[in-house]
Amino acid sequence: MISVQQLNKTFTLSKQQRKELHTKDKTAVAVQDLSFTCQSGRIFSLLGPNGAGKTTTLRMLATLLKPSSGDIQIEGINAIDNPQEARKNIGFLTGSTGLYARLTPVELVDYYADLYGVDKITRERRKEELFHLLHMEDFLNKRIGKLSTGMKQKVSICRTMIHDPSVIIFDEPTSGLDVITAENIIKLIRSCKDQGKTVIFSSHIMSEVDLLCDDLAIIHQGKLKFLGTMQDFKSQMQSDNLTEDFIRIVQA
Amino acid sequence: MIFRIFRKELTDTLRDRRTLMTMLVIPILVFPIILNVFVEVSKSFEESASAKVMNIGIVGDNHDKYKIQLEQLPRTLGPKKISTFKDSLQLRKAIESKKIQLGLIIPGDESLLRDQDQTIDLKWYLDASEVGHSQRAQAYGASLQSMAEAERLQKLGIKQEQINPLKNSIINCASDKKMIGQLAGGFLPYIFIAFGFIGCMYPAIDLFTGEKERGTLETLLTVPISHWKILIGKMLVVVCSGMLAATCALLGLFISIEFLDLAANKELLEVIHSVLTPTFIISMFALLFPLVIFFAGVMIPVAIYAKTFKEAQSIITPMNILMVLPAMIGFFPGIELNLNTAFIPVINVVLATKELISGSLSWFYFSCVFGVMCLLAILAIGLSYKQFGKETNILS
Repeated sequence: MISVQQLNKTFTLSKQQRKELHTKDKTAVAVQDLSFTCQSGRIFSLLGPNGAGKTTTLRMLATLLKPSSGDIQIEGINAIDNPQEARKNIGFLTGSTGLYARLTPVELVDYYADLYGVDKITRERRKEELFHLLHMEDFLNKRIGKLSTGMKQKVSICRTMIHDPSVIIFDEPTSGLDVITAENIIKLIRSCKDQGKTVIFSSHIMSEVDLLCDDLAIIHQGKLKFLGTMQDFKSQMQSDNLTEDFIRIVQA
Repeated sequence: MIFRIFRKELTDTLRDRRTLMTMLVIPILVFPIILNVFVEVSKSFEESASAKVMNIGIVGDNHDKYKIQLEQLPRTLGPKKISTFKDSLQLRKAIESKKIQLGLIIPGDESLLRDQDQTIDLKWYLDASEVGHSQRAQAYGASLQSMAEAERLQKLGIKQEQINPLKNSIINCASDKKMIGQLAGGFLPYIFIAFGFIGCMYPAIDLFTGEKERGTLETLLTVPISHWKILIGKMLVVVCSGMLAATCALLGLFISIEFLDLAANKELLEVIHSVLTPTFIISMFALLFPLVIFFAGVMIPVAIYAKTFKEAQSIITPMNILMVLPAMIGFFPGIELNLNTAFIPVINVVLATKELISGSLSWFYFSCVFGVMCLLAILAIGLSYKQFGKETNILS
């Protein structure tokens, strides 16, 4: 489970950033007073336009960024005070995730298994399961740099899941992927839900959200605009189109 | 866990062709080949210049005498062919058209001056832009001078000792080892500093800026390992690359000396062998190690700060000049290791290595230089850690 309470994140702007943003303010608020809960066995979607604060929020959940204030609990662990302990439960995958091109999929997965402290027997079992599930047997010992985008995406999934995390964070996981490759991610998200894991993913594609999510939060300019179940959202719709309603909420 | 990170980063680095080139291929193969080609070319230039038949043209009344004297000169001064010319104009034209290389003009009153025991002004003409011509003219002129001196002293009935009341002999008390240390000792630290820096450069950029650019750093930082362990694991690979490149450069130099006859002089070779003791090698690496950590610690914050490989390269490349230029201090004579220079990074290592080769490095100065470099290495690690901890630096 993920519990977020009154989360805030403010960035200090450099001179160059101030110039680029045409502002005199020395700070920029990325996330403001955000509170929500992601339950186990449910898919939570963080929806918002570009620059809404989705990535910043997910990076704070993944303990990559330290919040300016607020509280984050990952499986009951305070992620701000004890980030290393919280990370043991987290699997983090983004659409822009890169892989080590000079390693093979086996070497990469072994490396991450070691970093997560997975013992050898569990590692071998998990590898076998994941490689079989994702049909990776043919390219396990090829350098990642020589693999296709779809193959690389499968390696990324293995890397994320090797330590069997109970909380999975996806930051725009299908961005830049073709429909067939994105299907692997969709399957993975559904499978995580079936296994009772906590799943949170960000997106700005309403159709993808409709396809997957149980709970939904819409944020804009760092502030929460809507929080509820997908059913709640649909029942409050003022038009027939999900995207139109999403725009209406954001612009309200 | 640091070792696991180190092992992965090392595997990754050793599979990078660009790093392998700067770390192994250039220092071990290309560098000795370039060095050897340079030495061989300059040697062959010298040999061909000394073996070249020098066509000498003589103008003047008493040319037969000088022709005979020049022909009698030992063969070690180089082969020559002598011809006579009518006037100086013809002689100069022959030099310009390269028919002859040297021209000698004997004054018209040569016999009279000789009889009156006056100074005879011989004029040598040559094209000084040609390699070896000036040296040959000087050698021939000096030989003719000593022959004329001997002839005049005999005529006057004076012994050589009578006009030379004093003879000064300079005896060098410095050992061959010390002489080599002073004359060529600057070369060795220059080599290992230059290659140590270049060896660190690509892995530093690749393991920090490269990871950021490729989007792998973000994922790496989500693992339950503290950032300092990740930093140290990566830094160790950068340091290893620098050490390996410097070692390979020294190995390349050793191969050149031992197998490619770079030091053709047998005595010089013996001195080099006497310098290469286990104590020397250990001491040299003891100085090199904190220096390479310092290099890595200076480069890593830049690599962390830079957003692209190009940006990192454009900042670190000028730093290369800034670090390697002081290493040239070893080529200048007279600059010694003292309580001031011992505290200047890079320069202190160069001067200490120079004294190490000469065998004159005291334990006090060795400790000073080692201590200063260790302190700077620690500060550089601290700086790297500070930069690595900044959210704005590690996330693109």
